Formats: sequence, structure tokens, C-alpha cells
Amino acid sequence: MANLSLTPRQLLRAFVAVFIGGALGTFLRDLALKIDAVPKVSHVCLGVAYFSSSGPTLCPKGTAPVWWFSDVPWTLLVINALGVFVVARLFRSSLRGRDANELTRLFVVTGFFGGFTSYSALFSDVAPIWHLSPIGAAIVVAAAMASGVGAAWLGLGKRTLSR
Amino acid sequence: MIALLVSLSGGLGAVLRFAMEYVLRRQHPVARPWATVAANVLGTAVAGYGAYRLVNTVDVHLRSIVLTGFCGGFTTFSSAFAIPALIAREHHPKYAVALLVATPVLCIAGFLLGMTLAH
Repeated sequence: MANLSLTPRQLLRAFVAVFIGGALGTFLRDLALKIDAVPKVSHVCLGVAYFSSSGPTLCPKGTAPVWWFSDVPWTLLVINALGVFVVARLFRSSLRGRDANELTRLFVVTGFFGGFTSYSALFSDVAPIWHLSPIGAAIVVAAAMASGVGAAWLGLGKRTLSR
Repeated sequence: MIALLVSLSGGLGAVLRFAMEYVLRRQHPVARPWATVAANVLGTAVAGYGAYRLVNTVDVHLRSIVLTGFCGGFTTFSSAFAIPALIAREHHPKYAVALLVATPVLCIAGFLLGMTLAH
């Protein structure tokens, strides 16, 4: 069953499928984050101070964020949880039993939802919060983890997968 | 134009992640999810470096291409949770928990390492 080794031709197809899926997913995430572009307070002064390790105090007057909560990356959290849910649901429905090297699964799961969701953005978005409130940062990361586990649990459902 | 470059670098990141998963799976089929963990950790480390390195206004496009594009496409949140859930469902809960815990812990370490290197 397991298709561990692909021929050069199959491998090329796999690369193309993952590339197109990944590019589409990334495009949609980028688009969603732009539409959401409510200017994050800390991002306003990001170039000035935030990532220079000196903390928020170097932000120009009036731009310094007051509360970490205004910087919670809601859109990314929703994108990530949604991605987990849909992939888990696909694993129990149309992609059930598909090999990891199968073209449809590569396009949809490895490519599209791999590009749509992002683990790295969670931490680069939490970093500005961490400079304001380490506890706030811990809460956001913990919430992201909980949403991932919850979405996977909901997506897979109760039906057992053992064949 | 920038959106196109962001998308293409996301596709490139996804291909790189797949290449890692493919190579590891061919050697050790059961270990495949650890290639996903490695991609997430590496991608987050690069993001940590980029986030603190690309801070000037001239870097704003490069920042999107590297952080939103490449690192975003290279890392995956969906597989990081859906695959362990599947593994847990297949009666390997310890393996699933190891993957679920190792990823964020190593990612935080990676991000801090990247951040430190950027200064």
C-alpha cells in the first residue's frame, strides 16, 4: 500500500502539485491578513522599536501599545484552526486511506493547507506581544495550541479510523 | 507583484517541506511526522531571524516575502495537529503527544535562536 519511493517523473509531478497548492494557500493567507489589516498598534512602531529589543518604550509618542490584547493575531488563529479542522475532516472522509505520496493529498494537505496555515507566523506575531506582556504571549500560544487540538478532535470526529 | 512573490516563495517553502518529509519517509516510514516537526522548527527559526533583521521600511517587501511567504509556506499548522490526531486515533497516543509537545517547545527555542543571531 505505502508508496515510499516515487519515480523521477512522479516526483516532479509531486513537486508541481505541492508548489501550486502551497502558492495558492499562501496567497489566500496573505490576502486574508491584508483584508484584516486593522493596523496593529505595535506594528505601527515595529520598525522603530519593537524588534530592536529595547521594548515598546522607544515607540514614537502616541503609538506605544497600551494593552497586549489589541495585538492578538485573530485572523491567523482562525486560519490555523480552520486549516486543522478541514485537514482532519478530509482525513476521515475523501482522503481516508490515501497514501502520503498520493497526488491529491499532496496538493490539498501538504501544499494548499500547508501554505494556508503557518506555524512560524504564530511566533513572529506573538513576539510583539511578548515585549509587552510575556503572560499575554503565553496565553496566545496556549490558545493556539488548544485551538489546534480542539479543531483536530472535532475534525476527526468520533468515528474510529481503525480499518 | 509582491503578492505574487509572496505566493511563489510560499510554494517553494512547501516543496522544501515535502522534500524533507519524502526523504525521511523513504528511510523510516514511521518517522515521517518528525520531518514536519523539523520543517516547523527550522521555518520558525528563520522567521525569528527575519522578524528582528528585516525591520527597516526598505525591507518591508522582503519581510513579507520571507516571513509571510517562505516561512509561512515552509511551516504548517494544519499537519502539525491533524497528523498527530490521526496517529492518536491509530492507537499511538504517546507518539502523538510527543509530536504535539515537541513542536512548540522546539519552535520557541528556534525562534529565540534566530532572534539572538539577528542582533
